[in-house]
Amino acid sequence: MKKTLFTLLVLIIGFVQISNLYADDYTDAMLKAIKKMGEASDKNDKAALLKLRGDFERILQLKKNEWMVNYYLGSIDYMLSRSAAEEKNNDDVKKYTESAISLFDKCTDMKDDFADAYVMKMAAQGNRWQYEPAKMNDIIAKSTEAKDKAYKLEPENPRYYLIDGYMTFYTPESFGGGVDKAQTMFEKSWEYFKTYKPKDETYPNWGNDQAAGMVAMCYIKNDKMEDAKKWIDMANEVKPESNFIKGFVMPEYEKNKK
Amino acid sequence: MKTLIVTIFLSFVTLTALGQDAKITGKITGEKNLPLNGANVVIEGTIDGATTDSTGYYEFETSKNGSQSLLFTDIDYNEKRQTVVIEAGKTIELNVQLKKGEVETEEIIVTASSFTSGQQSQVTITPLEIVRIPGSDGDLFRAITTFPGSNQVDEGSRITVRGGDANEVLTILDQASLYNPFIFDDDFNTSSYTTINPWGLRGINFSSGGFSAKFGNVLSAVLDLKSYEMPQGTGGFAWLGLANVGLSGVFLSNNKKFGATVDIGQTILEPYFKLNGYLTESYNPIPLARGIGGTLAYKPSTSSNIKFIFDYSDDKIGVRNTGPSFDGFFNSGSKTVFGNLKYSAGIGSSTYMSMGLSYSNHKDDVSYGVLNTVTYQLYSKYRLDFTHKLSGKVDINTGAEYEYNDDSFEGRVPQFSYNLRNDAPYFDINSRNHTGRVGVYAEAQIKLFKRFFLIPGVRTDYHTLSKKNVVDPRLSMGWKFAKNQIVRGAVGLYHQYPRLEYYAQTNNFELKPEQATHYILGYEYNLNEGLFLFRVEGYYKDYKNLVLRDQNNFLYNSTGKGFARGVDVFLKSSVTNKYSTWISYAYTDSKRMQYDAIKQSPANYDITHNLTFVASYNISDVITTGLTYRLSTGKPFTPITGGVFDSTYNVYEPMYADYNSGRFPTYHRMDVNFQYIFSLFGRFAIAVFQINNILGNKNLYDYTYSTDYKERKEIITTNKRQFYLGLGLQF
Repeated sequence: MKKTLFTLLVLIIGFVQISNLYADDYTDAMLKAIKKMGEASDKNDKAALLKLRGDFERILQLKKNEWMVNYYLGSIDYMLSRSAAEEKNNDDVKKYTESAISLFDKCTDMKDDFADAYVMKMAAQGNRWQYEPAKMNDIIAKSTEAKDKAYKLEPENPRYYLIDGYMTFYTPESFGGGVDKAQTMFEKSWEYFKTYKPKDETYPNWGNDQAAGMVAMCYIKNDKMEDAKKWIDMANEVKPESNFIKGFVMPEYEKNKK
Repeated sequence: MKTLIVTIFLSFVTLTALGQDAKITGKITGEKNLPLNGANVVIEGTIDGATTDSTGYYEFETSKNGSQSLLFTDIDYNEKRQTVVIEAGKTIELNVQLKKGEVETEEIIVTASSFTSGQQSQVTITPLEIVRIPGSDGDLFRAITTFPGSNQVDEGSRITVRGGDANEVLTILDQASLYNPFIFDDDFNTSSYTTINPWGLRGINFSSGGFSAKFGNVLSAVLDLKSYEMPQGTGGFAWLGLANVGLSGVFLSNNKKFGATVDIGQTILEPYFKLNGYLTESYNPIPLARGIGGTLAYKPSTSSNIKFIFDYSDDKIGVRNTGPSFDGFFNSGSKTVFGNLKYSAGIGSSTYMSMGLSYSNHKDDVSYGVLNTVTYQLYSKYRLDFTHKLSGKVDINTGAEYEYNDDSFEGRVPQFSYNLRNDAPYFDINSRNHTGRVGVYAEAQIKLFKRFFLIPGVRTDYHTLSKKNVVDPRLSMGWKFAKNQIVRGAVGLYHQYPRLEYYAQTNNFELKPEQATHYILGYEYNLNEGLFLFRVEGYYKDYKNLVLRDQNNFLYNSTGKGFARGVDVFLKSSVTNKYSTWISYAYTDSKRMQYDAIKQSPANYDITHNLTFVASYNISDVITTGLTYRLSTGKPFTPITGGVFDSTYNVYEPMYADYNSGRFPTYHRMDVNFQYIFSLFGRFAIAVFQINNILGNKNLYDYTYSTDYKERKEIITTNKRQFYLGLGLQF
């Protein structure tokens, strides 16, 4: 009897979990795709990102114009634009950046209180520098607009500080950027990640390892290798085997150590 | 028991796999049948589908069967739907080719002789490039004079095209005609500036010939400006310069339905004059211009927009002038008010309507010796335009306008133009005339083939004062005959009614509209959306019915004629994001019998050779430098050969050589500037340092003579070597 009850309990719990996880095709597909996205973006795998782009597009067949899907599609396009930038393919940088901006716009048109979309919009707008530096006034205006909106909606969103940090990190000091300024933003991001809880499983939940990894990066730039190591360990703690750490931070760390 | 469950379970899985699923495979290709990587296919309404690999190949399985719609998409291409019948267990192979949109034909609908700026890809100049052009002083009109088609010899902002006067160029802002968008405007056009802020513009289209039937009552060229329907955000910009200060603000409500902008500016010239060595005693008063302008915009629905633009500016100036008969200050002042109320709305999905009601009032006073006049020019216009998409291949544009013009002129005018002394004899003139003009046009934009467009159009205008009616047929074409290569052409009839001041000096207002026939043919090579642009264009214009003074009764008639022919060459290249440059060259041969000419003579702006070189280099992400060099044939003028003493008034009367038979020396000037972008109080800031006419070339804009006309003195332009420093802060 006891055993039966236990089995039943397991079954019920299992069922509840399954019904939560697989409540509908949409959520099912979303969770699968988001998981794959984490892997693909970690490895900066362009082919995988392109495949994933298709996955998300197909999800749109299940829920037309779903704002959350547009957020992920936009994020993929943003990542594809970054990888195009590495390949110095300016046409693709433009293509994917414009697409990302329009997808984030679509997202916020439908859900105007979704801070994460504004965070990404700020990043994508900043990307335009690479192919239309002549429109800098417009870029600054739109990027600042997205930034202000994100902050107003969710001042404790850790990815707000992460993206702001990235943009500051890559901006020359004379233009209001710099490593030291960026570091405080990454540290703030790290702090907010401690208490951050996504509203549900489909909500974005990335960036924790990047925040710590970027603090480490700032220390590397300032030649404080011991502090850097400490933060690398912290990043690996929140996300063991983080490819961001392995593929991006560590090489810099090793190089500087010598 | 356990075994049984497993077995049942397994067999169920197998059954599903073997019995139900169908497989769909194939290849997705794009232009030239090249495989598309990352294209997507999906059974509509399901999640079943796949993304192509780098060979364009896709493959997926589905449990759906029967008739299904497959949707193929790619970020660069138009989507495509195809219905298939899926049978369980079978494999379907389906290869599809996606097509790019109509965009390609849209791109070439840029008519001959035009230069555009805006959001579309066919951009020849951006607002930032405008403010960066050295020597243009951030002035839109001066920037446009670096393009071929427009002659740059006068140093002010008025644009002259292919030999004709500045009043043959019409400036349109959101359907309204702008007749006086200038401060410090004078006949010599040496120091005028436009009051139009390039940052508020969403589109700039400058056409030096062969333009659309939309534009009436203009002979030579059109500068068509479109402002943003809504401000682009909320913020402000402050400018502190050595010669001017300005403050502007933009506001956009949270729901993006309401927007407002305001611009205030004023010149402060004393420090600028001191630094550049101007003699301040040559000015009384020191030139002063002020302006305030703004817009209010409201969006009642997603497809409609109401916008009001308002602008006020005034200026005054007194400059010492030593003429043959009078030595004193030439004083002038002006006040200009402009307003435009515009409503635009989509009607259904394929028709767009916009209408505008504009008003402008310009007052101009001048005094020098006995000369003392006040001129008022009032224009008011109502305009209605429709654009209707008849099909994917045909757009129809049609519209109508009514324009009212009332000019008055009063004051003292010397009886003899060569005697300006305070006690000289004068006419007391008080003249006022008004007219109306009704215009109607229709044109079709036809994409005859994928890479070929044709725009036939016609307009008709009626002038109420002269009771003269004209009909102007026009035709424009473009053919993208090879990748990156376009041929454009235009032919058409153009008319412009003379200004009221000419009608005032006729019998019974018997002046015909001046007429020009344009013939234009051009070739363009355009690589990567303007990254490398080469254009060459030839034109011929035939003029009839030009205003000419009858040498017997000194009244005007319409017997003038003339022609203009020439070649424009334009080369622009943005070699990298760091370096961009353009060179424009224009050859012009323009002869007219017009105004005071007694035979065919060089037109007022017959500049044989006109060369402009502009380069800009980004030294770093935050520092940009630029250089402009201009070289051109001197402008024609009518020389004075000597003087005859008139004992009645104790003054010399000048003897003129043939009309426009002299030429000023070759004009040349080099300008450089530096721009530094930095952060100030955590805000975006820009500093500009520029040196105009760095080589200190002495360019003439006129000659003056001694009292007896025996001695000729050069009047050098005020644009000597000049330093300017400005600081802008965005907040």
